[in-house]
Amino acid sequence: MIKKADIILFIIILAVGLAVTVLPLTRTLNDPEVKVTVNGETYGVYPLSEDRTVEILQSTSDGTGTMKNVLVIRDGKCFMESASCHNQICVNHGPISGRGQVIVCLPNKVVCEIVGGGDVDVVSG
Amino acid sequence: MSSQAKTDSRTRLVAISAMFAALALIFSYIEFLIPLPVPIPGIKLGLANLVILIAIVRMDFRHAFAINAARILLAGLLFSGVFGMIYSFAGGVLSIVIMYLLYRTGLFSMVGVSMAGGVAHNLGQLLTACVLLQNTAILSYFPVLLFSGLISGIAIGFLAYIIEKRLPSFS
Repeated sequence: MIKKADIILFIIILAVGLAVTVLPLTRTLNDPEVKVTVNGETYGVYPLSEDRTVEILQSTSDGTGTMKNVLVIRDGKCFMESASCHNQICVNHGPISGRGQVIVCLPNKVVCEIVGGGDVDVVSG
Repeated sequence: MSSQAKTDSRTRLVAISAMFAALALIFSYIEFLIPLPVPIPGIKLGLANLVILIAIVRMDFRHAFAINAARILLAGLLFSGVFGMIYSFAGGVLSIVIMYLLYRTGLFSMVGVSMAGGVAHNLGQLLTACVLLQNTAILSYFPVLLFSGLISGIAIGFLAYIIEKRLPSFS
């Protein structure tokens, strides 16, 4: 009942399947990026592969002063170098690099989160 | 063939098509009730494909397509939901076209036809998901669906082959 063409087709599909399985693995995975949100709004997304310093400036709610956070990206990691807040929890948090890790500066409402460039965890039907 | 006999055979075919559609719907329902115990969504045995496969072999493309369309529409209205219907329809149309074309070449057995159909069905659903969700990252899910479609397609193909041999003639 199994014909020769069946086996050829099976091998072709199998080969395509293996190719699409193996190919993405040889490529480097999506570069992680750090996403900075201020007060719930996206402030910017920066790749971890480039060293840079991001200054996050915002005026205080009464408009009289400025709040400042300095985020440094270096060697594929990022950390909060300084912050104008009083508790300095974000500065003491230390560097983050893994996807899903966050640095939060609650007084200034700044959230820095590592995201994998556009990857999807789960799509639910 | 007299016109009376022609009408009779047409009526027979319509009745059998309706029975097939009902059977395919039941198969869809069984799969909806008892999902495969795998943690990955989208992996199904594709029992309904059994019916479609036999319809392609025993009837023609038009009847097989109508049976499949009726099944998808009813299953969508009854349990899988409108989005489930869109996904099913894309997968169903792609797989039935591929299966019919492969069958018509005469080179492939039902196992080969079903195997390609299973993969095509999953591919169709995945492409629809890409369009609906505006996201191509879902394509990374393709290997999983390809292999699951391949395996379930082969299983269903064997079943269809065994069943088709034992079915009485339709005419």
